[in-house]
Amino acid sequence: MSDAVLAEIPPPQAKKEKPLSKRRRREASQAYLFLAPALVILFTFNILPIGYAFYISLHRWRAVRGSFIGLENYLQLLGSPLNAVFVVAGIGALIAAYYLWRTALEQLDRRRAALRLAVAVLLIVGGLTLILGVDSMIRAAAEERRTQEYLLSILLTVFYSAGTVPFQLIFSFLLANMLFMNIRGKSFFRMIFFLPYITPTVATAAVWRAVAFEPRRGLINNLLMSLGVAQGNLPQWTFEAKGIVVLLGQWLGVDLPSWVLNSPLLSGPSLAMIAVCIYNIWVFTGYNTVIFLAGLGSISREYYDAAKIDGAGRWQAMRHITLPLVSPTTYFITLMGIIGTFKAINHIYIMTQTVGLGGPQDTTTTAAIFIFKQFREGNRWGVASAASFLLLGIILLLTWVQNRVAEGRVHYG
Amino acid sequence: MADRRPVRRRFRLQPFHLLVYLALSLGAIIAMVPFFWMLLTALKTYGEHATRVQWPKALTAIPYTNLPEDVETVVSLRPVDPGEWGGAPSSAQPLLEGRVWIEQVTAPVTDQLARGEITPPLEVLILAADTNPEVEGYDIFYYTVGGGRSIQQGTVRAKWGMGWKAPYYIEAPDMERWGPQLIVEDNDPDHFVVRQTWRPLVILTFNFIKAWHDASFANYMWNSTRLVLITLAGVLTVSILAAYAFARMDFPGKNLVFMVFLATLMLPEVVLLIPNYQLAIVIERFLRSVFQVENLWIKNWTVLTIPFFASTFSIFLLRQFFAQIPSDLYDAALIDGCGHLRFLIQVVLPLSKAPLMSVIVFNGIWTWNAFLWPLLVAGDQWLPITVGLSRFTMEAAAQTHLMMAGATITIIPILILYFFTQKQFTEGIATTGLKG
Repeated sequence: MSDAVLAEIPPPQAKKEKPLSKRRRREASQAYLFLAPALVILFTFNILPIGYAFYISLHRWRAVRGSFIGLENYLQLLGSPLNAVFVVAGIGALIAAYYLWRTALEQLDRRRAALRLAVAVLLIVGGLTLILGVDSMIRAAAEERRTQEYLLSILLTVFYSAGTVPFQLIFSFLLANMLFMNIRGKSFFRMIFFLPYITPTVATAAVWRAVAFEPRRGLINNLLMSLGVAQGNLPQWTFEAKGIVVLLGQWLGVDLPSWVLNSPLLSGPSLAMIAVCIYNIWVFTGYNTVIFLAGLGSISREYYDAAKIDGAGRWQAMRHITLPLVSPTTYFITLMGIIGTFKAINHIYIMTQTVGLGGPQDTTTTAAIFIFKQFREGNRWGVASAASFLLLGIILLLTWVQNRVAEGRVHYG
Repeated sequence: MADRRPVRRRFRLQPFHLLVYLALSLGAIIAMVPFFWMLLTALKTYGEHATRVQWPKALTAIPYTNLPEDVETVVSLRPVDPGEWGGAPSSAQPLLEGRVWIEQVTAPVTDQLARGEITPPLEVLILAADTNPEVEGYDIFYYTVGGGRSIQQGTVRAKWGMGWKAPYYIEAPDMERWGPQLIVEDNDPDHFVVRQTWRPLVILTFNFIKAWHDASFANYMWNSTRLVLITLAGVLTVSILAAYAFARMDFPGKNLVFMVFLATLMLPEVVLLIPNYQLAIVIERFLRSVFQVENLWIKNWTVLTIPFFASTFSIFLLRQFFAQIPSDLYDAALIDGCGHLRFLIQVVLPLSKAPLMSVIVFNGIWTWNAFLWPLLVAGDQWLPITVGLSRFTMEAAAQTHLMMAGATITIIPILILYFFTQKQFTEGIATTGLKG
């Protein structure tokens, strides 16, 4: 830099800036040096593969790359493109309705009424389009088997979420509250509850399959027999492909109409899926309890003390202090639980080892298992990649939706 | 951690607390029952499991009381034609055959034998073969029990060299476990001395030893241990450096890079599975063309550990802690002419023992429990214990007692680690709440 230029810049600043920026530049380069191993590995094995997965999903790919087929893999999974458009439009309309609702709340009276009307219209239109799209997808599914499998796997994953997350939440919330009381042996119980989570899934899932759910000699059926609940007609657990609605009907001696029996939605999750759910609840309840405990610990004592002075009982304190203030944790656990069911592979792999992966009769083929089966058993890498990309989309959408929902309901503070 | 008040209120047992304890105990029982049942099944014999015996005889006093005394017999040998023993090994010296009589057995075997309509004394036919000329004497022994019609896999052990194989199966299934151990003491070409001895410990450990041998758990365990150690070394190096950069250094694009790191936590493993598998093939091909050596990547430890070195969870955990270290310390160190690296090693790391321990414990457990990726890419040389166990549970499908013994073997190292470090666990989870 020449003297002439220097003269134009206020001297003290220039003097200060020059060595500083040099130091900063050195620090920046050093920082990137520190980050380099992490960045390289993360880029190679976590970020690059996303692009690669998309690339694979656009091809006919069976272990080696085949021809470029564009979005055909996706269409194969979702049925006809029209249905996909319907579903996407439906979801879009619902999202738009949500945003309009948000803005409507901020508007003045007259415009609010108009906006609310628009919201109602959008909701109806969006909902109808969504239902139409899903319905025609399922109907088209009856004709094309692979389509059916994928959509079915999504439905099964929804079953899986519904059969695990609420129970995990209730049990772990109760346990955490009990552990949070001023009692002895807290850390002992916490240690025991946490045990299922840290032991290898492969081992514990094998234990559940072989000695708990085993139909003839398993612990659960032994218990059912000695309690006199079931004798000859023992539940087959991991071997049972029939839905629980159907099984309940049989048990109670009710004749169910064929449209219930044949519908994968109405006949409910199979008993095998219930077994997987029970295993999942067993594993994650303790883990969630520990997280809940942390959440409870972060609630200030003062609230409870104040409530006590006001004469609030235990139940009221729970209802008006604990529940709202622990809601960020509840939200976190719900989100992680649902995403977890979309990722689940290992324990289903082991629990269905004897009846075929995702079995019996594909009734435990959740979204992740579907991908794995297409990849390993079907050797259809393109289709599997497309399915995994859709799964990623679903997970992102779920996170987004839950974030929005949580915004209004979760109390941070 | 859960209870923040410094002074604890005195504990007073109220009726309500009894209810709470009841519920907590119920929860604890449910959490523990599968483990308990696993152990119980692992101690059963095949027959006990098959006939729904709930409590294994190995956990009663019967097999351990009134044990007969050791008996020594001198067995004279005669050369035999290999054709007489189906599947006899080719031997450097002539195959020799001798007979021993088992006069006494313990109570459970008496039951078993009664069911199989065989009564003591049992004739034991022993075949000795010398398959390894370098080892002096006969080194493989087969034996059959009970007049040639009931046949048993050998627990005959030679003093020199040891081998046992299963040419046939016996009708009294638990002879091997409850019956005497036959130990060959003197190993001569014309006779050997067989000692019958009763070992209570064998009764307890039998399934575990059998599973251990059947599935080569020794290998798996060694593989998993090595993989855990390598991963830990890598994770510690990579995440300490990265965490330090995020916590204490200033650089352009910091927020962006941090967001990218955060976003990778969301990625489900199954989405990355296929491209990473394909990538592994590409890397393998590339390494082969450069170094002219096969399996530098696939089927090696590299592919099982290196992709997991950048543990975002560990980076966040450490960053959180590093950021709390007062910056005065760094300023002081800077004046003393201390650079970032030295500050990190000499000041930050000694202060961070607790979070480092958490990182070690968590990553150790995750690596030990990892299943899906090793299932795809691990070769036999580096097969970790989880994949080994899953193969074993397939092979031992009907032999639940062995399967449970295998599961116990897999779980035990984790349990030991957990009981010593459980505080790091629960607190690590509670403070970061990451990873579902």
